[in-house]
Amino acid sequence: MSIIKASNLTKSFGHDHTAIKAVDNVSISIQAAEIILIMGPSGSGKTTLLSLLGGLLTPSQGNIEIDGVNITALKETALPAIRALKIGFIFQSFNLLDALSVEDNILFPARLRPGGINKARSRASKLIEQLGLQKRSKALPQSLSGGEKQRVAIARALINEPKVILADEPTGNLDSQTGQDVMMLLHDIAHEQGCSVVVVTHDPRIEDIADRILWLEDGKLSDRKHDQHKWCRDPVCGMRIDEWTAEYTLQYSGIKYSFCSQKCLDKFNDHPGQYLSNP
Amino acid sequence: MLKWTWKSVFSQRGTLIGSVLGIACTFILVIFFDAVWRGESEQVVSYPAHMKPDVWVMQSGVGNMHMAMSFVWDWKADKIAKLPGVKQVTPILYLNSIVTSEQNQIFAFIVGLLPDNKRAGPWKLSAGRHIENPLETVIPDVLAKISNLNIADKIHIADKLFTIVGMSSGTYSSANPVLFVPFSDLEDLLASTGTYSYLLVDADEGTRPEVLVQRIRDEVDKVNVLTHEEFINNDYSMAIQMGVEIIVIMTIICSVLAALIVGFTSYSLVIRRRRELAIIKALGVRSINILTSVILQAIIVTSIGFGIAVFFALFILPYTTLLQPQLTLSLSLSSLTHIGMIAFIVAVLGALLPAWHVSRMEAASAYHV
Ligand SMILES: Nc1ncnc2c1ncn2[C@@H]1O[C@H](COP(=O)(O)OP(=O)(O)O)[C@@H](O)[C@H]1O
Ligand SMILES: [Mg+2]
Repeated sequence: MSIIKASNLTKSFGHDHTAIKAVDNVSISIQAAEIILIMGPSGSGKTTLLSLLGGLLTPSQGNIEIDGVNITALKETALPAIRALKIGFIFQSFNLLDALSVEDNILFPARLRPGGINKARSRASKLIEQLGLQKRSKALPQSLSGGEKQRVAIARALINEPKVILADEPTGNLDSQTGQDVMMLLHDIAHEQGCSVVVVTHDPRIEDIADRILWLEDGKLSDRKHDQHKWCRDPVCGMRIDEWTAEYTLQYSGIKYSFCSQKCLDKFNDHPGQYLSNP
Repeated sequence: MLKWTWKSVFSQRGTLIGSVLGIACTFILVIFFDAVWRGESEQVVSYPAHMKPDVWVMQSGVGNMHMAMSFVWDWKADKIAKLPGVKQVTPILYLNSIVTSEQNQIFAFIVGLLPDNKRAGPWKLSAGRHIENPLETVIPDVLAKISNLNIADKIHIADKLFTIVGMSSGTYSSANPVLFVPFSDLEDLLASTGTYSYLLVDADEGTRPEVLVQRIRDEVDKVNVLTHEEFINNDYSMAIQMGVEIIVIMTIICSVLAALIVGFTSYSLVIRRRRELAIIKALGVRSINILTSVILQAIIVTSIGFGIAVFFALFILPYTTLLQPQLTLSLSLSSLTHIGMIAFIVAVLGALLPAWHVSRMEAASAYHV
């Protein structure tokens, strides 16, 4: 059964001759418990597509069905409830609420659910345990590490038992090991709960956990052939990077280097010589 | 959502303190000017308000004291005194004049008192004694302080030289300080005999002022007869027109300033939280709830600021009169609630514009922030 069914989605920004088609006639069907990666160059429309699927943007054309409900036919005022109950969002910059503790951040969407917060509390403590956040549950986001923040965000996305999780570069601000851990958690939990996961990513190491990889370029979707890589190595951590889709790149002495994360790029910037003499 | 509303106000402590202090300061100014205005307006009618006879009698065509001149024949006072229902009639002579001391010139009310007239004289002396002899005067203690005058100093009223023998409290306002002199001296100054200016008529117990007013009108020609309330209202509106416009203007300017600061503060609070508001929206909170939350935050911040201002007003403002004795402050609960209500309306209005922005903001921007 498909949880999300999008047909002929198009989203343009701007008007007339300055209009950009960020998403161009995309059709996609996502099955329950399926993990899908969306990859593609910067500016190819990945974030826009994800926003459309999550009911954060209304498409210029086309239809989206989530769990049997055609959300393009709904009134604007009905969308928040769909977002709160059916979809879990994970953002690249974590987007936790600074004033709330870890526990309250996780419980935040639960308050939007009729039936109240009490059932959610036991779910929250289970998630906290599962994600190894027991010691931090009263902490404020600013005192957490990047990996911890993203784990909190995952717990928040899961608290209302959504049908779908939409994650936009969830590992983009994490170093490669933490990123890997976070993806594994996402994978395990999603499978246990039977919810579908759509992940936009540049990280080729995540490919292994995916059921399906979609390639987006200039707003158009295509199945991706596995030889469409141009492999190179992150000079800092040694991770295998696809130069075509790499988000973090740098020209140094006329040579283009690609990095797995901002962190590695920063390290490289601090002491380029250290990494070049020791490839 | 409520939890977030509350906690996020207090999480950015620097911003909160800045906003709250800004709001508090302007409200202190508004409360201060309002208090000065009220104090001054009460003070300009302080003399007639304290005399509080049941009925005032004056020359026909005259309706108050401030900037007025009135003459009533003395036999009319005798006639009124004999009317049924009249307990006593207290005549005073009265003149608006310039008082000259060594230091300055001041516009003042001069009240001439017959010997042993205690009824219409100063009601509280803070120094010295009542007038007993010719060419003596009792002046307001505040006037003495700001003009640097002491007991036994001399001042000119018109071309006569008077000696200060007493100082009275509660008789000063910047528009009309009240000085008391002997009746005969003021008669000389006015070059009049056989006349009074105003008659303060007290009614017998059980006689209503309105009835007495009608009775005097029926019996005595060519006088204006008013109840105390009518007389005070006339005097008040006349005095306000002449003396305290400036304070009214200051109060209005400050109120507008406070409105702008409150509005701007709640506006910038929302702008600063735009990122979080986008996240909240993406997570599925309805726009109407976000709107409510933003307005609530503006109200919380304004309340704290206003609370500080009220505290300051109640415990610190009263001491300003020690430094500036000519100021009369009147803080009233009703004017504080008044200002408070205006504050909330402004806070809500100030939050509405940015809240409207936020409610229209694309939830998708959460993916970009
Ligand atoms: N709100 C917007 N207004 C105008 N143009 C936009 C907006 N969002 C995205 N775009 C444009 O649409 C294209 C796709 O953007 P995006 O979906 O963010 O790409 P990606 O996530 O793949 O990097 C880009 O050219 C971008 O400039
Ligand atoms: Mg993107």
